[in-house]
Amino acid sequence: MFDTLLFLLVDGITNGAVYGLVALSLIVIYTVTRVVNIAQGEYVTLGALSFSSALSGSFNLFSWLVAGGLAAFALLDLADRRLLSSVRIRILLIRSVWIAGVLLTAFAAHKFPGSYWLAVLAALAATVSLGTLTYRLTVEPVSGASPIVLLIVSVGVYMVFHGVAVLIWGAEPQSVPPVVDGGVSLGPVFITYQSLWICGFAVLAMAGLYMFSERTLIGQALQATAVNRVGAQLCGIPVRFAGQLSFAIGAGFSAVSGLLLAPLITANYDMGFPIGLKGFVAAALGGIVEYPTALVGVVLVGLTESFSAFQISAFRDVIVFLMVIPILLWRNAVRPPEAHEH
Amino acid sequence: MTKTVTRGRIATSLCGFISASSIALACAQPGFAQDKPELRIAAIVSVTGAASALGAPERSAVELFDKTWSTRTDLPFKVKVISYDDGSDPTKAVSLTRKAIEEDKAHVVVCCTTTPSSMAILDTVKAAKITMISMASNAAIVEPASERPFTFKTPTSDKLMLQRTLNYMKRQGIKKIGFFGLEDAYGEGGLKELQPVAKEVGIELAATERFARQDTNFTPQALRLKQAGLDAVYIHAIPPSADLAHEALKRVGYTGPIYHGAGSSINAFVDIAKANVEGAIVGVGALNVYDQIATDNPLRPVLAKFAELYDGAYGKGKVDLFAGQSWDAMLLAVNAYQHMAEAKTDDLAATRIAIKNAMEQTREWPGVNGVFNVTPTDHLGLDKRSTFLSQIKGGRFVLIEE
Repeated sequence: MFDTLLFLLVDGITNGAVYGLVALSLIVIYTVTRVVNIAQGEYVTLGALSFSSALSGSFNLFSWLVAGGLAAFALLDLADRRLLSSVRIRILLIRSVWIAGVLLTAFAAHKFPGSYWLAVLAALAATVSLGTLTYRLTVEPVSGASPIVLLIVSVGVYMVFHGVAVLIWGAEPQSVPPVVDGGVSLGPVFITYQSLWICGFAVLAMAGLYMFSERTLIGQALQATAVNRVGAQLCGIPVRFAGQLSFAIGAGFSAVSGLLLAPLITANYDMGFPIGLKGFVAAALGGIVEYPTALVGVVLVGLTESFSAFQISAFRDVIVFLMVIPILLWRNAVRPPEAHEH
Repeated sequence: MTKTVTRGRIATSLCGFISASSIALACAQPGFAQDKPELRIAAIVSVTGAASALGAPERSAVELFDKTWSTRTDLPFKVKVISYDDGSDPTKAVSLTRKAIEEDKAHVVVCCTTTPSSMAILDTVKAAKITMISMASNAAIVEPASERPFTFKTPTSDKLMLQRTLNYMKRQGIKKIGFFGLEDAYGEGGLKELQPVAKEVGIELAATERFARQDTNFTPQALRLKQAGLDAVYIHAIPPSADLAHEALKRVGYTGPIYHGAGSSINAFVDIAKANVEGAIVGVGALNVYDQIATDNPLRPVLAKFAELYDGAYGKGKVDLFAGQSWDAMLLAVNAYQHMAEAKTDDLAATRIAIKNAMEQTREWPGVNGVFNVTPTDHLGLDKRSTFLSQIKGGRFVLIEE
């Protein structure tokens, strides 16, 4: 009995860590831009798939698409007539370095197939850039709209990403090697090193994000935007930049969780959506705004899933998603929604 | 100046081409209408959409058939293939079937890749009295034969595969098994077939656990199965879930034999989990082990020839169970046409019915899927000779001699 308990605990926590990274991404994006990002799970998929193809040494279309998108926006920015020429040169320089970064990492991964960290770098450069592109293309033009409009926009983004993933990588699942093969035996329970990597990275990411938002000026600016957009804008914080940054962080965290998870379940085009939803359930516990409560949420979701799958496997997802109802009731009772903003 | 010249030239050459081709047509038309009747087969395959992974090899086999049969001159008839893509959409399958029946005047409709599409066109083919050969797996497509007189199919059924697997288990001394399957239509269909077969063979089904295609964790269910004290676990899923379920069982320390349904009988099963699925016992079709079955097996020459043809056209090791589904369907249609009781005429309605009657007379016909014995009451016509058991050894499907 003790073995079983241990097994379920370990697996619950590993899965919880994956959901945790997604929940974190959701919170960063929601607090800064007020987008409840349904498409968050797709960054998990894109991270895993682009990593898997970079690892196999194929120069994937995805990096080209992202670089093309970046170039298009760079041109759009340069076309602004009111710009001083010095600013223009600065934009040109920054953007060219950025585009070169995306393409060079992809090219390096292509030149050295099988090099794990180069592939990670290539996948991250592409997905993080895609995050900022998504913000500029879909959120910025309607940034003043109500949250419900932003939500529907993100549903559209989800559909596009999902289709593009099938188009580029096909429907076949791809197996991905772990960071380090093997694992340790904790008594009767065999824990793969990959699970430890996932948990370790999740903890690091959370600590890093905390340090970033508490100790750096940019982090403070993001927080300020999250608290009051108009106020932040009046104080001279570039809200647009804050939005892009939040999408970049969100895309990056989710992509990492995807490429760390892929060795355990293979990388395939529809792996992301359920992970995104479960991350959402966890984030809901913190009202998609509080990091610490969301942490409790991910552990709760991971363990509930694990134990319900053991007790009644046919209903495990039902139980996990049903959790949203008591969570929302509890939140309403503890912290009634205030009529914030507008 | 140059412009008018070019225009004039194009006009002249066009005129020349048209008159030449019309003369050719005028000469050719009565020619073959007199001495060679034509067999028109419409192949409606899901090349795009959700079932494209299955439809793509099926389309390749149809093209291969077209290449090898349409050009043959040694036959007393001509073969014409009409190819359509239903996009995995039942509505589209119905309209394409109508088109094939009315506009193309097809004699046989080979349709469809998926079970939903196949079910959707049942009424259309019944009303038109035209033979339909499905490439989908569900037994409900052809059962009962009295209600679906014009419907046939080529893939073997889950029931036959399960009978073979469970009988083998029984001989191995296995008394208590657990079912570990997908919770979608495929997995539920397998469970529904498994229950009566287990009862019939005398094996106790002691545990059933489910998982979904998108699950990230299979360990809890695997633990449960391990603790149920089973002699064997039967996994009814497709890769990659089939692989992940297998790995989870090993991870929790389950050491008994693990059996897989036919869903795992594709190369992807081994490619995904590599050494982790060594020793798995998988129910396979003849094509998976065609180079290992007994040399006196009537299927062997058929399989070797198909594998050689297909690999020759599309690359070595490409041959796939699903390519075999459409290949058998096309050849069954030709076979029925060759063996019609009535003379081959241009009477469309009579030929359609004659083909259906001839289909029901198919005896000991070796195909890629097995030996077909189609009768008026059994429109599948396969028996246990269509199923094989194999074990994964060294990354290959190795036939288990019984």
